[in-house]
Amino acid sequence: MAHLDKEMIEYLSDLSRIDLSEKEQQALLSDLESILTYIDLLNEVDTEGVEPCNHVLADMQNVMREDEIGEVMPREIFLSNSPAQIGGMIRVPPVIKGK
Amino acid sequence: MHQLSAIELRDKFLNKEVSALQIVDYFLKRIDSYDGQIGAFLTVYHDQAREHAKKLDDKLAKGEPLGKLAGIPIAIKDNIHVKGELSTCASQFLTNFKAPFDSTVVKLLKAEDAVIIGKTNLDEFAMGSSTENSSVQLTRNPWNLTCAPGGSSGGSAAAVAARLVPLALGSDTGGSIRQPASLCGVVGYKPTYGRVSRFGLVAFGSSLDQIGPFATNTADAALVMEVIGGHCDRDSTSIPHKRETYLEKFDKTLEGTTIGVPFEFLKDLKGDSKQAFEQSLETFKEKGASIVEVDLSTLKYSIAVYYILATAEASTNLARFDGVRYGIRAPDAETLDQVYDRSKEIGFGHEVKRRIMLGTFVLSTGYQDAYYKKAQKVRTLMIEQYKKAFETCDLIAMPVATSGAFKIGSKKDPLEMYLEDIYTISINLAGLPAVSVPNGFTSHSLPLGLQLIGPQKEDVRVLSMAHAFESETSFNKLPPQFED
Amino acid sequence: MANKDKWETIIGLEIHSELNTKSKLFSAAPNRFGDEPNTNITEVCTGMPGALPVLNKEAVRKAVQLGCALEAEVAKFSKFDRKSYFYPDSPRNFQITQFDQPIILGGHVVAEVEGEEKTFEIDRVHLEDDAGMLKHFSGFAGVDYNRAGVPLVEIVSKPCIHSPKEAVAYAMAIKAILQYLDASDCNMEEGSLRFDANISVRLKGEKGFRNKAEIKNMNSFSNMQLALESEIKRQIKLYEDNPDTDPNELMGQATYRWDPDRKETVLMRRKEHADDYRYFPEPDLVPIVLTDAYIEEIRSSLPELPLQRERRYVSELQLAPDAAFVLTSDKPLADYFEEALKICHRPRQMCNWLIVEFAGRFKDTGTHLTTSGIPAEHVGKLVQMIDAGKITGRIAKSVADDMVASPGKDPELIVAENPDYQPMDDNEALEGIVDKVLSEHAQSVEDFRNGKDKAFSFLVGQIMKATRGKASPETVNQMLKAKISQ
Repeated sequence: MAHLDKEMIEYLSDLSRIDLSEKEQQALLSDLESILTYIDLLNEVDTEGVEPCNHVLADMQNVMREDEIGEVMPREIFLSNSPAQIGGMIRVPPVIKGK
Repeated sequence: MHQLSAIELRDKFLNKEVSALQIVDYFLKRIDSYDGQIGAFLTVYHDQAREHAKKLDDKLAKGEPLGKLAGIPIAIKDNIHVKGELSTCASQFLTNFKAPFDSTVVKLLKAEDAVIIGKTNLDEFAMGSSTENSSVQLTRNPWNLTCAPGGSSGGSAAAVAARLVPLALGSDTGGSIRQPASLCGVVGYKPTYGRVSRFGLVAFGSSLDQIGPFATNTADAALVMEVIGGHCDRDSTSIPHKRETYLEKFDKTLEGTTIGVPFEFLKDLKGDSKQAFEQSLETFKEKGASIVEVDLSTLKYSIAVYYILATAEASTNLARFDGVRYGIRAPDAETLDQVYDRSKEIGFGHEVKRRIMLGTFVLSTGYQDAYYKKAQKVRTLMIEQYKKAFETCDLIAMPVATSGAFKIGSKKDPLEMYLEDIYTISINLAGLPAVSVPNGFTSHSLPLGLQLIGPQKEDVRVLSMAHAFESETSFNKLPPQFED
Repeated sequence: MANKDKWETIIGLEIHSELNTKSKLFSAAPNRFGDEPNTNITEVCTGMPGALPVLNKEAVRKAVQLGCALEAEVAKFSKFDRKSYFYPDSPRNFQITQFDQPIILGGHVVAEVEGEEKTFEIDRVHLEDDAGMLKHFSGFAGVDYNRAGVPLVEIVSKPCIHSPKEAVAYAMAIKAILQYLDASDCNMEEGSLRFDANISVRLKGEKGFRNKAEIKNMNSFSNMQLALESEIKRQIKLYEDNPDTDPNELMGQATYRWDPDRKETVLMRRKEHADDYRYFPEPDLVPIVLTDAYIEEIRSSLPELPLQRERRYVSELQLAPDAAFVLTSDKPLADYFEEALKICHRPRQMCNWLIVEFAGRFKDTGTHLTTSGIPAEHVGKLVQMIDAGKITGRIAKSVADDMVASPGKDPELIVAENPDYQPMDDNEALEGIVDKVLSEHAQSVEDFRNGKDKAFSFLVGQIMKATRGKASPETVNQMLKAKISQ
């Protein structure tokens, strides 16, 4: 039973915003297919009534900080790693308004 | 000097038998002489390290107090931040990225006067078990230069194995400290999840990652843990305990301790690994420990669970690498979509892309229940099974890797590589502390490691019992090629 | 419009309000508006590799306080989730929000709509972090992360709003609560309070919901009303013009923005398929577990809330309910009102001056009475002067115009300086004017004597005009009556 098809790879590529060449798509399709086939192993585990593990340290809760201003990152340091900047902002190609 | 332990080096410095500059120069010379063959280091801080050493010498001369790691050179895996220096994660995405802040662990090391000597190679973004996924260079196993050092912290493991440095830090998400430690014949320690701060570690699997030490012996590893193993208020998953002392709690006796072994789970172990493991159990028995069988049957699902959860977390952790704020931006990108798509295309290697796609898949609508949520439930079962097992024993013993180091390029199939982690992965899923100590050699003179695993938060117990085992054995050796 | 009666409207409002904490939700960067770009940032809110979120306890407290004010259930257990989507203003390309276990569940708010008190049901309130700001230029865009990471509460109503007026009333009531709790700056122009609506129509009696449109960019209450009215018209027309087409084909799920210049809703994007946000629990944060004691402490120390104040104004000050609602929906205005009352205790008149007279003068100027520089005492003095008969109601309107033109100038001074504003107290001169008007409008006098009462008002009007409003209406009335009845 196939888990994936080319359409799915394209969809995942779209969601994760990674461009893939035709060759890469093919390779991925076969790699992911074999990994998912292996993962099917989990179907034999009975997890009825089992809670998902969201935190491995089960007793940790309410980790919060005081509402205080901490060490601000200087703008020059932030921008020093940026590929393009203008007027103190990160510069990107024009964006269509709205997501 | 390279045959001394870190503690011995520090004491010699503090006793003024040798200066910090002499120590640093010595190891810089070793790195310069040998690392060309090994490829452990991505960057070496020649000038900075020497400057720092001079300052330490000044401090000592003035009679100022010095820290626990005074004068000891330490190498840092290149996914852990040193402020103002490159953190490339061995990825083309970050070849020019300078860390804007110090990781907590590096801050702590600096506060104890350790000398950060350079950054080591890894599998890109810590994804891999051989360091072959580094987009920068190959690292070779100092025991056999045609073999891989393991991964993803291969650079740190190899550097310590060849005694280019006495100490190094790595990160472990599914075995990335323990496995290379075992393949390189050194001690590698993964703390309880939350014991060491992840602030400043480039995240891969947020619920699995831990930073830990490589050393030539357990006492040195414990010394590092005394420095880095405490609560951090910049990391919400950090255990709310202060730093612990380890060395003074070391107990050399194994008498009266109980070691649990999941014999059923280990039934496929064979060859030299099996022999070395069985020999280790004999050592325990000889020294008065008792061996009991424990049931860890759910562990056979650990790889399936891990590759769902770790990739899911990674797919979102790596989303920030998009060519917008930092890192590489595809030079031919004209639209925003192109900035995203093409930057990731050229920035990420195959393994990284593979894992991001897999992680995106297991979280996507329609599949999340069957994959992500299912894996989270099986994880709960594993944690429960470990808890139950620890009711009957102090520590659990397992091998680390299925065999000794494999040849570079020999494992092409990703799934085959993933299956290498079968003995180490479940420990990250359960957040347990675990150590790899050398316990033998293959017939090809390649190192093997024994894994000792403790219940959550029992870090001292794990290192103490590992120390006891180490005291009864003598597998801490130097690779012949780098003995001098 | 006759057709409108066949249709009913279903509206759900999503309100995003920034909390006015000192620092951001997961980052210790300052939470401030208007500074130079990228100066209020840390490694956390710029999505640097290696950075980790740490929750701000004050944001949690404000969210719980809001939940108590909305009489909602405060969840004893809630957690955060990652919501994945790519956009340059998102530092991590995932937002940390609360998906399936939010901190506040249910709740309701009461608002005055066209003379009636209506209760609106709330679905949930949760915490999440805000995105940065994308500034569009020609040929490129710039990203400023000052706003990235600011704490937001998202308040989601049930789809229980059935008209644009109801939507505005609901929105005003929520804004008022946020103001009274001092939880937010509630500045719609600066974006610290944002409204999105989901709106659909259906035939009365029809079961099930038709596809809805999402409306964004309603940055004032008047724009909200216009936008929703416009959208309702658009949807109804779409259905009525195409009676034979399947409604689901006509209306796909889509997002519109209100264009204030074109005065219509403009399509932003269609949703081909629902966004796959791939929500999953945030592994870098641990759950929030709240005790009864914590919740009770907050509930019992709530300040006076808008509804309580409104009801107090109705019962103690005899204000009309809808006037009281409008007044109390804006806390600074209600505070202003109470200050002014200290000068002159005439609640109904004072209220009218604030929500009708002065409000009208500031409409569309971008300022409000409370930030105009006119102190409450001055409005108090204005009403006092009317009350004492020093000026007429009509003159007072001119004085008000002057007060707006010169904020901070004492109305007593304004009156003293302007001879036109002095009331006419010369009865002889007035008599003369009355006589003149009577002689010029003999016909009207005749009409009145023949029973046409309107003629009397007309004559009064003429007299007032001749005195340029300075005569006292009562005196004019008395004099005219006396003379006509002769």
